[in-house]
Amino acid sequence: MDGNAKKVVFMLPVLLGVLMVIYALYLDLFYKNMAYRGILLVLGFLLVIAGLYFLPGKRHRMIVNGLFLLPLLGAFVITVLIPFLFGIFYSFTNWNGIGFTQVVGLANYVNMFRSPDYLYSLVITFLFTVVNMIFVNFTAFALALLCTSGARGRNFYRASFFLPNLIGGIVLGYVWQFIFNKVFPSLFKGSLSMLTDPDLAFLAILIVSTWQYAGYIMMIYVTGLQSVPKDVLEASGVDGANGLKTLFHIKLPMIANTFTVCIFLTLVNSFKQFDLNFAITNGAPSRILGAKAIASTEFLALNIYNTAIAKNQYAQGQTKAVVFFIILAIVSLTQVTISKRREIEL
Amino acid sequence: MKKKLLTMALVGAMVLGAMTGCGSNTDHTGSPASKDGKEEAVSGKGGEAIRIVNGKIEIDGPLKAFAKQYQEKTGQEVVIESLGGGVDINGALKNYLAAGNMPDIFVFGGEGDYQTWKDYMVDLSGEEWASQTDFGFQSADGKTVGFPYAVEGYGITYNKDVLEAAGIDPASLTTYDGFKQVFETIDSKKEELGITAVCSVAAESGQMYWATGNHLFGYYLSGGLERGDAKYIDMLKAGTVDEERLGQFADFMKLLFDYSDKNTLISGTYDDQLALWAQGKTAFITQGNWIDPSLPDYQVKFDCGIAPLAFTKEEMKGVLADCPSWWAVYNKGNNTDAAKAFLKELATSADGQKSLVTDCGMISPYTTCTVSPETPLAKSLKTYVDAGNTYSWEWAKMPEGMAMNATAAVFELYAKGEIDRDTFVTMMETAIADYVKK
Repeated sequence: MDGNAKKVVFMLPVLLGVLMVIYALYLDLFYKNMAYRGILLVLGFLLVIAGLYFLPGKRHRMIVNGLFLLPLLGAFVITVLIPFLFGIFYSFTNWNGIGFTQVVGLANYVNMFRSPDYLYSLVITFLFTVVNMIFVNFTAFALALLCTSGARGRNFYRASFFLPNLIGGIVLGYVWQFIFNKVFPSLFKGSLSMLTDPDLAFLAILIVSTWQYAGYIMMIYVTGLQSVPKDVLEASGVDGANGLKTLFHIKLPMIANTFTVCIFLTLVNSFKQFDLNFAITNGAPSRILGAKAIASTEFLALNIYNTAIAKNQYAQGQTKAVVFFIILAIVSLTQVTISKRREIEL
Repeated sequence: MKKKLLTMALVGAMVLGAMTGCGSNTDHTGSPASKDGKEEAVSGKGGEAIRIVNGKIEIDGPLKAFAKQYQEKTGQEVVIESLGGGVDINGALKNYLAAGNMPDIFVFGGEGDYQTWKDYMVDLSGEEWASQTDFGFQSADGKTVGFPYAVEGYGITYNKDVLEAAGIDPASLTTYDGFKQVFETIDSKKEELGITAVCSVAAESGQMYWATGNHLFGYYLSGGLERGDAKYIDMLKAGTVDEERLGQFADFMKLLFDYSDKNTLISGTYDDQLALWAQGKTAFITQGNWIDPSLPDYQVKFDCGIAPLAFTKEEMKGVLADCPSWWAVYNKGNNTDAAKAFLKELATSADGQKSLVTDCGMISPYTTCTVSPETPLAKSLKTYVDAGNTYSWEWAKMPEGMAMNATAAVFELYAKGEIDRDTFVTMMETAIADYVKK
């Protein structure tokens, strides 16, 4: 068989496969009752793949590469890209989790920025993110210095600082809720639980969040500190630089890329804080703002969850989630760009 | 060539894997047609199994036992799937619907859920049991669409032993003044009675919003009214309140909060609240008959009963009792008749009644039920139900999420003493008006 005949032979299954896929999708999207449409879809895909694989041609290698990427790409498209696009679409409708009856345009977005609880959540989340980022990074860096200082038993400390990160946030949250509600008031007789005061409750979440996350970030700093070349440190020692000078003028600039990673991680993580928030306070206590009562520790993620689940306003929740994504993308991209400038290429 | 074949097989397997993930995902449009595959898998032999999604995890065991019994008797397999304990049932059901895996019978929790699911419910008005109960869920045009399986009631639950020791007749707890007097008496004898506070109330807004924003507030909405009188709930839906009535309610809340254990009041969870009362440290708790199953855990020896949360100056003799949730039959399922038959058996047969009342520890909503409950609070509640002294749960018709996202916060501030009575009323008014507007 010469090349052209082969080409034609293998083009046929590709075409057949494409037709099968299209037909299966048509059946599904238009509610046609046919049990075998799933199999049809998969077989169609397989035919396309097999046809492409055996198709002779100059781009054979490229096709094979593409085929190997397919599982990963498929998973990404199905679990991330499609839901995301659907999400954006739903935010313009009155979707209730089952279906929608009309496209409402920007109404959801307008409503969102008019509701005080959302705006409050936005502010409090920004505040939390900034403070938490500072807390976690300071603590983590201090711990990392401690763990690389050559103190005795540093491996034990390293492990124990890391441990809280291994416990799930919800469990941790309930444990700490118990500590704040029961242990502290009984330690300090007559004091009320921290979780009953809006400001202290905010602090309480900060404490737990730092306690949970600092160990993880510490590990990254430790790796960074260990990668500082010994000869540079030695040279500075010969030149008479003391510990503090070494730290500020050699170690810190050398591990600037570690800072980028750590700040990025804490930033995103704080902004998305949900499980601790949900388990420790679930929005309580309430704060008087103007003449209104507002849930004082309801961060954005929890606000979105409550909008969709508790209020059963799925479209509104989806709208908030889209905006949440945009804000997060802007903030983290800005941060990475700024931090990148400070890095030193070795 | 062999190697090539192997690669091909691997690629095929991987793609197949990715596609199966896709299979359940592309069904997002909620095509009801895609049921068949799953159903067949469940049914196995005999007729198709019917599947029930139950929202009360506490009764999972007894219900499964009854389902087994039913299968032995009729050959019809019934699969019980219980959700609960913090699971978002509506979300789970929406997932099932999207995946074409909707159960034949599903649970729904009142007006809000009805609006979400009304297109998927079978009209059950023609069923035998529908005429034997006052608690069936009626759609707007008067059709029974919800199967009631239990009646729950609440008010202020008292420790009868403590009340007797203090020389108080629980029957006097029917007005604001009655309560005031009783609270004062008990408070003055606290040490003698061995209690640390009069009431066990929890009003924190994060975890206990349902207790204040739904249950307690429910008395404002329907306490003392005829069953089905929607006067105050209609006002609420329009974003207004009856200031006079809410004022009386606020007075009563103040009384309740003043005589409550302070720590539990502002930071306690349900467990804290219950433990306090069940260990005999307080005389009253603002919960209902659902605490019956927990009583053995605390080795409760004392007798107890439920009194109305009578916040009015006039007498209020009944408690709020209603179905916490209903079961609906899925209208696009293949087994609607089998599902109806199962519900009929559960409601009308002796075995079904025994299962609901004795095994699940609930109160039957059916007038034809002859089995009596055995737990103390269920017994106490049954006296109200039998005497017709019950008020409906109009609070279940509040806009969804209102307690959690609006009213509970006001209760919390009031409990902490940060606002006074008049501010409570006005704040409640704005909270409700704002929430309804959105």
